[in-house]
Amino acid sequence: MSAPKNSLKFLLGGNGRPINSSICRSCRKSISSRRQYASTAAAVAEAPESIHSPVTSSSPSTQLAYALRAGVVLSRPPQITRTLTPFEKSFFLYQKRLNERLSLPFTRYFYYRKGTPSEIDYKAKIKSRLTPARDIGRYNPYLDDGWNDEVLVGAQESEPEDVMEKLLGDVEVPVVNKFQGEQEQEKGRGDAVAARPAARETEADRTGDLRSLDRALERTLYLVVRDGKGRWGFPSDVLVGKESLHLAAERILVQTGGINMNTWVVGNAPVGYHEHKYPKYVAKGGVSQIGEKTFFMKARIMAGQANLEGNKLGVEDFQWLAKEEIPKVVDSFYWSQTRNMLSAR
Amino acid sequence: MHFPWIQRCSFTSTPTLLKRQKGGPKRDTRILLIRYFLHAPRTPRPLRLSRMRALRHWTIHRAYQLHKETLRKEQELELERMYYEMRKACEQLRTIGRDGLEGVEEEGKLFRVAMEKKGVWGGVPIEYARAQTEWPSREGWNSGWTWD
Repeated sequence: MSAPKNSLKFLLGGNGRPINSSICRSCRKSISSRRQYASTAAAVAEAPESIHSPVTSSSPSTQLAYALRAGVVLSRPPQITRTLTPFEKSFFLYQKRLNERLSLPFTRYFYYRKGTPSEIDYKAKIKSRLTPARDIGRYNPYLDDGWNDEVLVGAQESEPEDVMEKLLGDVEVPVVNKFQGEQEQEKGRGDAVAARPAARETEADRTGDLRSLDRALERTLYLVVRDGKGRWGFPSDVLVGKESLHLAAERILVQTGGINMNTWVVGNAPVGYHEHKYPKYVAKGGVSQIGEKTFFMKARIMAGQANLEGNKLGVEDFQWLAKEEIPKVVDSFYWSQTRNMLSAR
Repeated sequence: MHFPWIQRCSFTSTPTLLKRQKGGPKRDTRILLIRYFLHAPRTPRPLRLSRMRALRHWTIHRAYQLHKETLRKEQELELERMYYEMRKACEQLRTIGRDGLEGVEEEGKLFRVAMEKKGVWGGVPIEYARAQTEWPSREGWNSGWTWD
């Protein structure tokens, strides 16, 4: 029985100070209670006492502590798909044309009734683009030169802009004169023009407005704020009372950016951690603080915008930045501890 | 356009004798057309690639596989980085008490609260159902959203 007794003593230490600190208090407690339950009054007498004995420091005059803080990594998710590389674009067109070579022929009479305007319209369109598919350019695999399905370097057929134009141009139905049996397209097409989608590059991108949430639509944007000392970082504050990290994150969001942000704090567990030691101890509330430990919570913004008016954390400025823009404003030590929790895209 | 492969047999299932009688059952032309699709002999032509073209096709295919593999690896590494960052934070949280030091009162309390799973899936916002699109919306970001 001496071996478990010794190991327990080792865990709790002589004066109750944990030597092996990788075991948390609750586990240590459960170990000691198990021990209690099992046997030996000596160990029982020793263990509970040692847990309640003072353990912070050998000299009682200076109580050391870290300031515990919670931070919020508030992010706006990407709104649009990523920009394809030229290789991906041309590969997709290549695959589409191969698929066209392998697909069954389009049977016009099943879809268009003879003599109807839609049939006339279809005939006119198929004459110009040769294939029922609208996004592969002028190509018909059933013709004699059907083998020639590869486009040349610099061809526009693989560009998403070109595909979009082709698809919308197909929607813009030309006015068909049924009696003449031929189509006439109005010159000033007027209402027939289909509305084009908005550009992937927005106004905020062009003007370089870093506070807008309309910028860098294909990236995740993170809220970075500047405090009273001119340092940039994620919004953070000291934990108040017995609040949990989740509650603290929700409080910090409101106290930084106001209530007009539709946000959601993702979970209860932190996604990152930042430790910073002060150059010298700071006396605060009867303890001398060595430094601060910040635990970051992940949050998402769905709508709204930050408003710093009357914020309680002394925040002076904010920006919405993508991952690679953040190290330009925060210091390198802060960046080295927070970079891994951010998404690359 | 000239179609040399036009089907020459009839696609009707009506027997010839029945067809000759005038009062025979009237078939919908759409049935004829559906039958035409299902049994049309014009199946896709096999892809015939020349030697150089086949080689080119293989090269393109391999290049795309490599590209996908690179993307997948990058994504995995990124997830791994995020996971270990979370793990590091939780491990730190587990070993510290109220004073941010090891072995003080309420050690690991923040960690135990952080590991609570109750209500984690309760308030997932409906906005998460929005998929990324190729083109952004014309309205842009809703900056004018207010809480009430």
